[in-house]
Amino acid sequence: MKISMNWLKEYLPVEHNVEEIANKVSLTGIESAPVELGTDLSGLVVGHIIDVKPHPDSDHLNLCQVEIGEKEPVQIVCGASNVANGQYVIVAKNGANLPAGKVIKSGEIRGQLSNGMICGLDELGVKEKFVPKEFQKGIYVFPAEEQPGADAKELLGLNDTMVDMDITPNRADTLGMRGAAWEIGATYDHKPSFTKPEIAESKVVKNNDVKINIKAKDLVTDYLVRTMSNVTVTESPLWIQRRLWNQDIQPVNNIVDAANYVMIEFGEPIQVYDLDKLTDKEITVEMAAEGHKLELNDGNKKDLSHDDLVITSGGQALGLAGVQKSSVAEVTSDTKNILVESAVFDGTSVRKAAQRHDLRGNVSNRFEKGVDNGAVSESLTRAVQLIDSITNVESISQEIVGVQTKAEPIIIDGKISHINSLMGIELSPEEMLKIIDRLGFTAERNGDEISVSIPTRRWDMTIEADLIEEIIRIFGYDNLKGTLPSGHETRGGYTPIREFINKLTSVLLSEGMDETINFALINKHEVEDFNTIHTNLTRLLHPMTEDHEYLRTSLVPGLIKDIAYNQARGNDNISIFEQGRIFDRKEGTDRPEELEYIAGAVSGNVLEDSWNTTSKTVDFYDVKGIVEEMLMFTNSDAEFEYSATDQIPNLHPGQTANISVDGDVIGYIGKLHPNYQSDHNVADTYVFEINVDKLFELSRKQVQAKSAPKYPSITRDLAILVGKNISSGQIVKDIFENGGDYLIDVNIFDVYQGSNIESGFKSLGYHLIFQNANDTLTDETVEKSFTNIKNSLVSKFNVEVR
Amino acid sequence: MSLNDKLKKLRESGIDDAKRAEHLQELNDLRVNLLGKKGPITQALRGMKDVPKEERPEIGTLANNVKKEIQEAIEARMNDLNKRMVEQKLQEETVDVTLPAQSHELGTKHILNQTVEDIEQFFIGLGYEVAPGYEVEEDHYNFERLNIPKDHPARDMQDTFYLTNELLMRTQTSAQEGRDMEAHDFSKGPLKMISPGVVYRRDDDDATHSHQFHQLEGLVVDKNISMADLKGTLEALCRHVFGAEREIRFRPSFFPFTEPSVEVDVSCFNCGGKGCRICKYTGWIEVLGAGLTHPNVLEMSGIDHTVYSAFAFGLGPERFAMLKYGVTDIRDFYTNDVRFLEQFKGVN
Ligand SMILES: [Zn+2]
Repeated sequence: MKISMNWLKEYLPVEHNVEEIANKVSLTGIESAPVELGTDLSGLVVGHIIDVKPHPDSDHLNLCQVEIGEKEPVQIVCGASNVANGQYVIVAKNGANLPAGKVIKSGEIRGQLSNGMICGLDELGVKEKFVPKEFQKGIYVFPAEEQPGADAKELLGLNDTMVDMDITPNRADTLGMRGAAWEIGATYDHKPSFTKPEIAESKVVKNNDVKINIKAKDLVTDYLVRTMSNVTVTESPLWIQRRLWNQDIQPVNNIVDAANYVMIEFGEPIQVYDLDKLTDKEITVEMAAEGHKLELNDGNKKDLSHDDLVITSGGQALGLAGVQKSSVAEVTSDTKNILVESAVFDGTSVRKAAQRHDLRGNVSNRFEKGVDNGAVSESLTRAVQLIDSITNVESISQEIVGVQTKAEPIIIDGKISHINSLMGIELSPEEMLKIIDRLGFTAERNGDEISVSIPTRRWDMTIEADLIEEIIRIFGYDNLKGTLPSGHETRGGYTPIREFINKLTSVLLSEGMDETINFALINKHEVEDFNTIHTNLTRLLHPMTEDHEYLRTSLVPGLIKDIAYNQARGNDNISIFEQGRIFDRKEGTDRPEELEYIAGAVSGNVLEDSWNTTSKTVDFYDVKGIVEEMLMFTNSDAEFEYSATDQIPNLHPGQTANISVDGDVIGYIGKLHPNYQSDHNVADTYVFEINVDKLFELSRKQVQAKSAPKYPSITRDLAILVGKNISSGQIVKDIFENGGDYLIDVNIFDVYQGSNIESGFKSLGYHLIFQNANDTLTDETVEKSFTNIKNSLVSKFNVEVR
Repeated sequence: MSLNDKLKKLRESGIDDAKRAEHLQELNDLRVNLLGKKGPITQALRGMKDVPKEERPEIGTLANNVKKEIQEAIEARMNDLNKRMVEQKLQEETVDVTLPAQSHELGTKHILNQTVEDIEQFFIGLGYEVAPGYEVEEDHYNFERLNIPKDHPARDMQDTFYLTNELLMRTQTSAQEGRDMEAHDFSKGPLKMISPGVVYRRDDDDATHSHQFHQLEGLVVDKNISMADLKGTLEALCRHVFGAEREIRFRPSFFPFTEPSVEVDVSCFNCGGKGCRICKYTGWIEVLGAGLTHPNVLEMSGIDHTVYSAFAFGLGPERFAMLKYGVTDIRDFYTNDVRFLEQFKGVN
């Protein structure tokens, strides 16, 4: 809420500019920003129109003679349709400044001299929706006689400065000028003073005929009304109007405006009804029934439901309680007798109704966050007093109580030592009590113990911690010296799985892969495309868009999206990975398990053309190399097996391998299926994905250091011709099985098929490395093993040794 | 010609030949030819018998000197030639050092993870454990245990993706507080933990909002934890992240699970507090929210709030990274353009 300094001055000395005040209030209480109105306005005076004649050369312009406090009246050409003789209006004089850099200059309009401009409020920067309705399309007319030549900017309140407080939900006590005065007062150590509203006793009459019936007792804690007879409905005096439009409230008429004015003053919403439009002068507060409708001013009707708390009369809804009045019993220019209501409605009920009907506003905002139930009666008295002071009424009823809850101060007990210890400072009891007094609370002290009485206007405060917050903020956080917790030493660190994850990611980084972070909420296609764990999908109850509807079952779709995004922007060579969670929902459960996964994708060149290298595009074995290196770093003695699979739908059936340990699949490597690649606009791309939780579970091996071998190794080369369908993995496995104790390594150096090779066959070349760590190997020993190897290959795979 | 003159002449021509030699082979030949057994000096000395006896020692000395001098001339020339050859080789092997390197590029850790890890390392050094949490969380831990019952107005502040009425995508890493407090054995000492992770809100993605983003929660529970401890801890953190010169300030705020609650500003690292575009001319930048843990939150976790107190704080790695590196669009963190990612190589 914007706190007007002109208004605040009624309660407090205001000794600083708004910038200073906003800054200080931000640091001690509520985030605030300074607002200065009318900084772009000048040369605005009151003008009195003493003659209006049609412009001789125009059918819509008028020549107005206007007194503006100078020797002679000035002539102003005016095109507003509501201009009339005798009006007091706003005149922008020759040389006046208006918003957006507009400067008014004397000149001729269709041959007639015009010495300035008669203005509408919107032309002075007041938003059109806050301008009184009858002046929205035309010039503004002062409601009463003003001195010609007087400063119009000041009269219109457009010279005001304000502190715009952005309140947190717990500080709704400052949604009224009085609450704000307490807050700013505590900040500057000034106690605000308020005039107690009083009603002329002679006008007060007994209530004889109004009946209040509270049916929804759990949602209404206070409901007070008064009636007033013989009101005159007109426009409000200027001092009320200007305060309303500065609060972004449109002035309507003196009765409605007075109610809104008191809402701003006290923070308590006040409603007014035309008493004569109520059936039998009866009001009921109840849950809406079938067929109840809320009639809005714009002619629209909203259907109400059983969840809506409504004010009704004769079965007709007068309003959605605490949210929006209906147009049914509205106060209009014909209204003679009124009913004024001050109430407290349940905040949650109001909030939900306002949300349900999309009608959040000044009134619901206050009920939602709570209002001071100690000021319900006083604000009603104030509203009635204000209306009476504007439009001298005939009589005012006594307060009629529908329901009332006793408002009592909250008592918070605390210990001075405990409060000091939680703040980390040492305030003396006197200093602490002084701060409590400054806040307008009263305290009793008994040694270390204090008992603080909190007035009802601070209904947010209930416990010692609330009191601590009040004391420390007024003491000043800037005066608080930082310390570090001084308790027992603790040993910090990561969890073992997180240490493990850090290791895996560092391998992939060292393999040149960039780390990405993708969204975990993805679309239906994406969540199904790589559901290799065959899990049940987990869907959001109310997704915002189809793009983010399901919890991912794989990290791969995100990576493919990244590659497509990059390749569309000319970043052709991409090597990326992500470590994150996927969601595995077991049949019959709602809550998915969160599995740690790591996945990578490589597309384009792994080696670039350069002055000394030629480019190479990624292939299966590049990615397999990355995966192997990562698995090596898991320091597991498990054997990772790669077996060809054509069972992963969007991967190439001939270039995909499952990775498993003891028959348990822990991940896969593969090339994207060509169709999938073209559908997703990516070049040839290889991906891998591994279950990190499973990797982590594998046993760690205990490394027992061995000296590096001192004896030389012997290498034999083996070239074979073998059927195309035999995998190198099978060959290598067999070589090891028959290679004897000294075969330590087998490296493939050649794979060839094509010309010179019989079709259906391929040629493979291996280096076989033999070594005895403890002795020099003899050729005979090696030859014996080599022969065994060859014999086995021939008999098992029918190879031709070349 | 006397033997004496012969030797002198041989010396002259021998030294001369050595000096003029262009190849090592020539010098070798010269040595063999001149100084060998069949060489002219040896030959000349055969004429010694004709020399009067008393002159013989003199001629002998001369002959040795001649040999020695020629030998020296050959060696000197050999050294020269060797030196020249090395120089020539070095010349030939000279490379253009401005040509691009043979690259062995490392990948770049995502800037958000770099930011998080930097903060983790800071807190690990202060004895904090890094606790992971769940991304799918119970309403109970995400809200109720944080003093945000159903229908609490604060639930408006964060719209939530629900999976069922009781399960949701966590909206805050604070959801981990309840779990860690109930799991901690306070007889073994205080609880000091941070919990980084991904959180989700029903926000439309734009330059400053993302439906998925990161948070890092911190919580310390012990006897005698105070607001001053919170301030000192966050002061040290902000100096670690934003520079040793930084100051922080607390402003009162509201979170349902802390009381008192504060928002924390750090003095502008760009202008040092004088005011600039980054700090919106205030000299201060809001970086995180914090407070003393609400007594209700402690009690719900079975911790006696009259014995223990606690502070908690929550920060946004996106915000930290955006401030520190001038990132202006939060979506850049999630589109993973490698040109964006790779500019952060090794910044933390
Ligand atoms: Zn700055």
